[in-house]
Amino acid sequence: MGSKEICRNELRIAVRQLSDRCLYSASKWAAEQLVGIELDPVKFTPSNTRFQRGSSSIRRRFRTNEIMSTPIAGVSYVSTPVMEEDDIVDGDFYLLAKSYFDCREYRRAAHVLRDQYGKKAVFLRCYALYLAGENRKEEENIELEGPLGKSDAVNKELVSLERELSMLRKNGSIDPFGLYLYGLVLKEKGSEHLARNLLVESVNSYPWNWSAWSELQSLCTTIDILHSLPLNNHWMKDFFLAGAYQELRMHNESLAKYEYLQGTFSFSNYIQAQIAKAQYSLREFEQVEVIFEELLRNDPYRVEDMDMYSNVLYAKECFSALSYLAHRVFMTDKYRPESCCIIGNYYSLKGQHEKSVMYFRRALKLNKNCLSAWTLMGHEYVEMKNTPAAVDAYRRAVDINPCDYRAWYGLGQAYEMMGMPFYALHYFRKSVFLQPSDSRLWIAMAQCYETEQLHMLEESIKCYRRAANCNDREAIALHKLAKLHCELGRLEEAAFYYKKDLERMEAEERDGPNMVEALLFLATHGKDQKRFEEAEVYCTRLLDYTGPEKETAKSLLRGMRMAQSGFPSMSAEHFPP
Amino acid sequence: MEASEYENMDLENLVFEKVTEEIEAKKKAGERIPFHLHVPTPIFGLVEDTDIELSAKPTFKQSTKGKEAISYAMTLDGSSGAVDHGFFLRSNWQIQGYLLEQTDAIEKHGSSFPLNALEFMLGQLQKLAPELHRVHFLRYLNSLYHDDYASALENLHKYFDYSAGIEGFDGIPPSSGFNNSGRYEIALLCSGMLHFHFGHPKQAVEALTEAVRVSQQHSNDTCLAYTLAAICNLLSEIGISNASGLLGSSYSPVANMGTSLSIHQQLFVLLKESLKRAESLKLKRLVASNHLAMAKFHLMHVQRPVLSFGPKASMKLITSPINVCKELRLSSNLISDFDIESSMMITDGSLSTTWLKNLHRQRGSSVIFEETEPGNRSNASSFFSQPNSIPGSVSQLVGASYLLRATAWEMYGSAPLARMNALVYATCFADCASSVDAAVAYGKLIQYLAAYKGYKAAFAALKTVEEKFISVSKSQIMVLKLQLLHERALHRGHSKLAQQICDELAVLSSPVTGVDMDLKAEASFRHARTLLAAKQFSEAAAVAHALFCMCYKFNLRVQDASTLLLLAEIHKKSGNAVLGIPYALASLSFCESFNLDLLKASATLTLAELWLSLGSIHAKRALTLIHSALPMILGHGGLELRARAHIAEAKCHLSDASFSVPETSGVVLDSLRQACDELQILEYHELAAEAFYLMAITFDKMGQLEEREQAASSFQKHIMALEKVTDEEDPLLK
Repeated sequence: MGSKEICRNELRIAVRQLSDRCLYSASKWAAEQLVGIELDPVKFTPSNTRFQRGSSSIRRRFRTNEIMSTPIAGVSYVSTPVMEEDDIVDGDFYLLAKSYFDCREYRRAAHVLRDQYGKKAVFLRCYALYLAGENRKEEENIELEGPLGKSDAVNKELVSLERELSMLRKNGSIDPFGLYLYGLVLKEKGSEHLARNLLVESVNSYPWNWSAWSELQSLCTTIDILHSLPLNNHWMKDFFLAGAYQELRMHNESLAKYEYLQGTFSFSNYIQAQIAKAQYSLREFEQVEVIFEELLRNDPYRVEDMDMYSNVLYAKECFSALSYLAHRVFMTDKYRPESCCIIGNYYSLKGQHEKSVMYFRRALKLNKNCLSAWTLMGHEYVEMKNTPAAVDAYRRAVDINPCDYRAWYGLGQAYEMMGMPFYALHYFRKSVFLQPSDSRLWIAMAQCYETEQLHMLEESIKCYRRAANCNDREAIALHKLAKLHCELGRLEEAAFYYKKDLERMEAEERDGPNMVEALLFLATHGKDQKRFEEAEVYCTRLLDYTGPEKETAKSLLRGMRMAQSGFPSMSAEHFPP
Repeated sequence: MEASEYENMDLENLVFEKVTEEIEAKKKAGERIPFHLHVPTPIFGLVEDTDIELSAKPTFKQSTKGKEAISYAMTLDGSSGAVDHGFFLRSNWQIQGYLLEQTDAIEKHGSSFPLNALEFMLGQLQKLAPELHRVHFLRYLNSLYHDDYASALENLHKYFDYSAGIEGFDGIPPSSGFNNSGRYEIALLCSGMLHFHFGHPKQAVEALTEAVRVSQQHSNDTCLAYTLAAICNLLSEIGISNASGLLGSSYSPVANMGTSLSIHQQLFVLLKESLKRAESLKLKRLVASNHLAMAKFHLMHVQRPVLSFGPKASMKLITSPINVCKELRLSSNLISDFDIESSMMITDGSLSTTWLKNLHRQRGSSVIFEETEPGNRSNASSFFSQPNSIPGSVSQLVGASYLLRATAWEMYGSAPLARMNALVYATCFADCASSVDAAVAYGKLIQYLAAYKGYKAAFAALKTVEEKFISVSKSQIMVLKLQLLHERALHRGHSKLAQQICDELAVLSSPVTGVDMDLKAEASFRHARTLLAAKQFSEAAAVAHALFCMCYKFNLRVQDASTLLLLAEIHKKSGNAVLGIPYALASLSFCESFNLDLLKASATLTLAELWLSLGSIHAKRALTLIHSALPMILGHGGLELRARAHIAEAKCHLSDASFSVPETSGVVLDSLRQACDELQILEYHELAAEAFYLMAITFDKMGQLEEREQAASSFQKHIMALEKVTDEEDPLLK
């Protein structure tokens, strides 16, 4: 990786260039990364360290190895020359246009720049037109929306923009920003392949525009597409790849990339949040919580990604923390989809499901494609026993992103609740296909097969076996496997799984009825198989418990002693010394 | 600038108008939310596009229907009053009507319906109205008929997830038994049908069982009745021996009835149950289709008292043609009944048609019939195609009853009746029939042609039918063609070619056990016949034996009878007449209990031939047998059967010791001449040679030398033709 100093310099210039072109979210992102770079201890001044208080031990705890920041062997990074700024002549008009733009008067901004032909001016004009079109589209969507859903409002500027941009490109007088816009237009139009090519061209010549990268990321729907992109090796590419891996559900690869990037950008909130996201997908809730706690400490008014934190808090039932979070985002900005989701979660945990649904609805009003809101709403409807509504909500989530295994799982659960296990299997199959490493999904599917209506025990056993193989945290699978085998009369297999279950329970120091059941079975089985010593051990352990099992164990022991010693013991009793 | 401002104002007005209209419509519709679609040009353009596409596709011959549907969409444009600026208002009902019509079209044309054109249209509709969920259902249908399993399954689930099965039932007032929990039992029913369609009987049974359970839970009797009918259909289609394993596997209404009943008795009980339910719910069409299923059952299964044991119970082991006729008549009553129900029609319209469609997929067995000119069809069917007079599904059902009648008469052995019914179907119901059913009817007619008019006529007819059904139901027509070719190859003595065709026929059936049993039995039957023709008797006997076992296992009783007859035939040809007689007798008794009169006549003939080959002392007995079968054979039999009867009769006369040539030569020569004529039409060289040989002998005995020479040279011609087996590629066989 280029040294920190190089990154810093590049980013500094990029932030200025991006905000000069009104690409605000890209410039925000760049600025965030800029302050996320670790300072050389020699030079830092108190003002610079303000953001970096968080270099606490907490984060270090999760840093697996410290040598991450060494470059990967064989990768030479291309240094991309920083662009020089052109035409100061048009400066005045440009300034006016930019001011208009900043006031969100896009058409006016475009009008001011109508006779300007500098690359920068052309870009800003096109971009302003594009945004004006988008604005109008949004308005039309609201005005013309029929009860059957959306009207087909389109951005009316797209056609003319495409014509102009393609002309510019043919002339060769297009800059990377123009290419980005062109890619955006084409993506909107649906010609994804061309859009990908243009975006690649754009990021290859100007890698610091994160907006271009994220558009590109959304166009990489398969791993093959991702690998086929002819991208230059720039450190920005690592950010891109990490994000793309995450979208493609390659969480471990993504995590590795982010941890590597953290070597340079050790204070980047963005990277931290992304790591949290990956950990969340890997269901490492403890770590996610720690990361978010720290994030909130450094950046208390952050709303982005906080809905995930609220999910974790919900799952762990941390009521006070969730309440605190909900109140904080409510004060910060209550009309953001993330905030609405957080507040929805809060009400849900409080048991006020109607209110919770209302907030999820609001989140969806704000962003129709808010995936998690649909799924969470589905959960709420399930809680409210309104299964058709739940099914509808989950289905919408699935249609937005067919890879959302949670929503598929929810659909399956809803149908299972309605007593349609066979129908539910279809959905469980889908979710398991998408997330084969999640034991809960396998268990849900197995339970479906196990229901008295289907009673397909062989299939159920297969599913439980898969569940047991992928780190079944609740340890349901082993117990179930043992029970099912027992039911099917395969005692050896049953004993095997009971033993395994027992070992696990011992290792995790859990106790309970399962333990008693396992011990009892193993004792009886040992006795039946004439492995008396083994049976005796289990029986003795059973004696520690109260209840009928204790008595059973006692009589078993007695029976075994009798069988072992045969009549001699009897005679001993008969003839006391 | 000003102009655009005005335009803008206009636009705002328009929006306003729409809103007020919407509010009014809402008031009218009470609780239900109506929807207006704001459809700008795309649909209009779309219509034109598809139109062009259709006419540009020369292979799609049956585009008339498709165009009708499209012109419907066009008239919609006109009638609903186009508003300026490319905005059109279309009501919920108009779009739904369009979708309904497309549904009918898909069902009718099956796989020949243009997949992509509709898919594109549906895609557009969905874009414009994402909340119009019926689109998903149409997509499901479309992919179902194009055998796209994944997409069909996906869209089925999508439709029911979104609509909870309620959207298709707009007409039902909310009070009538509609509860809040959705109608997912219909989803299960549909998914059962889907699995059935794709040949997954196990999954189908699971889904249908669940459908029964859920409909009982939600007390949806209508769905329950349909589900029961579907289960019946499934049971009768998948082969009984398979079913026993299936039904045992899960809790099911069928398994409940206890194991003491045999599967087909269970089926009978289930059918009755289903019929009763449908009647009490006044589901006219379901009643009709249940009657049809019942008729089918009576046609195929021996009637025996359900609960009677011991020697005293009178075992009446025959099928009941009277019942079949009764059921068929009852099912046709629908057409007079339906107008009472016409208001109900629309309510369960869109979905019920799809169910009903699957309920009677006819599998035509074999033999018989004439070709009609497709030209005069439209006149004859004008009665039925009056606008809105009779819903498509009803006439489809009535048509199915005619098709079933044709099949029944075919089995019972009445050629004219069978032909007539097939003709009625082809002329009156072809317009509303699905292309598969129509192909079956035409197939019957062509087979009739082949059997009664020879191959030339049959192949000519086949050619026109092939053009008519160019892309439709490939397999149906393909099977027919192979059957004809095989028959002809056997007659001409091309055993190599016959074997090749036989193999091709076998390949057409599905590799799954228990599926396509008819076709499998047919292929195996023809294989045995080919071996017989090639004089490989032991192999032929082995194949026939295996076939008998298979048919017995899968309860294909009719095929059993004909297989037994084939075995008798094999023994006759191999010279073991004594061994053949028991088979012939067994076949006879089978035919009797199943009322297969024509097959019985043919078995009697074989029996007579067997007796005759035991020596001339049995000639009298043989002659009596032949005479007993002759009325049936001459009245209903095909060319081959008649010729065989004639030859056998002549042989009896000739071998009879008391027979004197000059007195009765007229009788002998007459029948031989008839046989020769018939066999020459069929190009059946082997039998023709035999006939001419006998003729020559007779002439020789009569001392008419000239005629004798003539007959002898004809004999020689046929023998030469038989020996000169040219393996030239048949142009008809690709």
